[in-house]
Amino acid sequence: MYCFDILSLLILLSSFALMANKKSKSYIKSFRIQSLLIAIAAGMMGIKTIIEEGRFDVMVVCLLIIILKVIYIPNILNKTYTKAKYQVEKDFILNIPILILVCCGLVVFSYFSLSTIDGINDGMINVQVVNSISVILIGLFFMISRRKAIGQIIGLLVIENGLFVTAMFSTQGMPFIVDIGIFVDMLTAVMILGIMVFKINEEFESINIDKLNKLKG
Amino acid sequence: MRNLLYIVIQLLVIVMVAPLLNGIIKKIKAFSQKRKGAPIFQMYFDLYKLSRKSSVVSDVSSWIFKVTPYIVFATAVAAALLVPVSSLIAPEQIPGDFIMLVSILALGRFFIMITALDTASTFGGMGSSREAMISSLIEPSILVSLFTMGLVTKSTSLLPMMNVMKGIGFPLAHPGCITIFLALFTIIIAESSRIPVDDPATHLELTMVHEAMILEYSGRHLALMEYGAAIKQLTLITLLVNILIPHDQLIAITGIGAVVLSLTIYLIKVIGISIIIAIAEVSTVKFKLFSIPNLAAMSFILAFLGFLQYFVLGGCYVLF
Repeated sequence: MYCFDILSLLILLSSFALMANKKSKSYIKSFRIQSLLIAIAAGMMGIKTIIEEGRFDVMVVCLLIIILKVIYIPNILNKTYTKAKYQVEKDFILNIPILILVCCGLVVFSYFSLSTIDGINDGMINVQVVNSISVILIGLFFMISRRKAIGQIIGLLVIENGLFVTAMFSTQGMPFIVDIGIFVDMLTAVMILGIMVFKINEEFESINIDKLNKLKG
Repeated sequence: MRNLLYIVIQLLVIVMVAPLLNGIIKKIKAFSQKRKGAPIFQMYFDLYKLSRKSSVVSDVSSWIFKVTPYIVFATAVAAALLVPVSSLIAPEQIPGDFIMLVSILALGRFFIMITALDTASTFGGMGSSREAMISSLIEPSILVSLFTMGLVTKSTSLLPMMNVMKGIGFPLAHPGCITIFLALFTIIIAESSRIPVDDPATHLELTMVHEAMILEYSGRHLALMEYGAAIKQLTLITLLVNILIPHDQLIAITGIGAVVLSLTIYLIKVIGISIIIAIAEVSTVKFKLFSIPNLAAMSFILAFLGFLQYFVLGGCYVLF
């Protein structure tokens, strides 16, 4: 019925909650909640495909999401960021209410730009796809609006979440090998970024990306 | 006759139950702090005791100071009459709609704000300026969410809205209604001065908003002010539960038994919502004043997303 509509809306709302936060702890928490919602959506999709087509791959993807995105990646980030000096973001490019209103504009934009595409919609707008594309755009905007490295990493992860959800809702389960490829890429990216941020924090005593353009030696 | 019966039942239910909710919320907060807490009927005893005491009025205050408690109480009761507790007891038509509801509540709030300025105490001015900020931030989201419900049900009056939602069955299964529900819940927390926005139990000058405005009152004036605030809170909760979680379609019997059953389910829903409010209050800390625009922006966004879902998917609501 409306289960997938509701889940896609909740995923969108969790990215709004991410946008309204200031602390690196709450970034990680919001990301974890979003991944959990995606895992629930993938699990329901998996049950549907098992019953209808007899494929098990979406279920495997769901388990992978739970292991990697709900448990492993947030734990790595938590471990790295409890050592960082600055836990609270102070310097935004705009204040939070305006950022949230801009995100709302992004949602409206994706609604109206997707309403002209024929393939996905067949007659009525596919809300799930619209909501998940808004998640991608909000992740991108989140990367722009935060100056600390943690914001950039979380933004990247949210973009990836949005891409996964878009693929899942528009095709009812992507080919298995594509999903696995994206996951492995993501995992290595996060591990490298985590180690790099740790090194940057050690060298420069700050993880503000504005200071990274100065040479040190 | 039916009108008179409606008014009597409505007033009895809302006016009698309103202080109970505060008692329940306080009890749950006490349990969360491992205390026994005051009995849940404590607010009735407080109101009774306050109403027997004479009130102290400052020499420098004007007529506004004396007239405000009555206006606040009267506006709260008038607002309560606009939101039927059960569609079974309601007459064919109730004059007034949700725009009138919002403006009546705004009238009471306006008088609280000017009376806080009237005695020229420093706390009063601070409290009323904060209240003006919070209420002007919250009002867009309450209007957008109620207008969306009006668009869905093709009416601005609350009784037809309730009847249409009754026909839908379980509106919360629709994504648009979930966001409206969350938005209205945030609004209730802000309007009834609960914890993320304002602390109802504090008398610390840095944090109080609603308490700062009624600080000068005592005796029966204070009783009227507190009673008015409690009735306003119950009115908003009634609006939430009766529009978004309708229950009258479940009742198969007719006659007086149906009304009693309907009112019982209504009370259960209201108590459920107040338990959720208490849990929300226990599990968050008070925001600093300049973080309240973030909360208001979130509540506006929730209302606006609900509106967008309706606007883009207007056809989906017809499916019910």
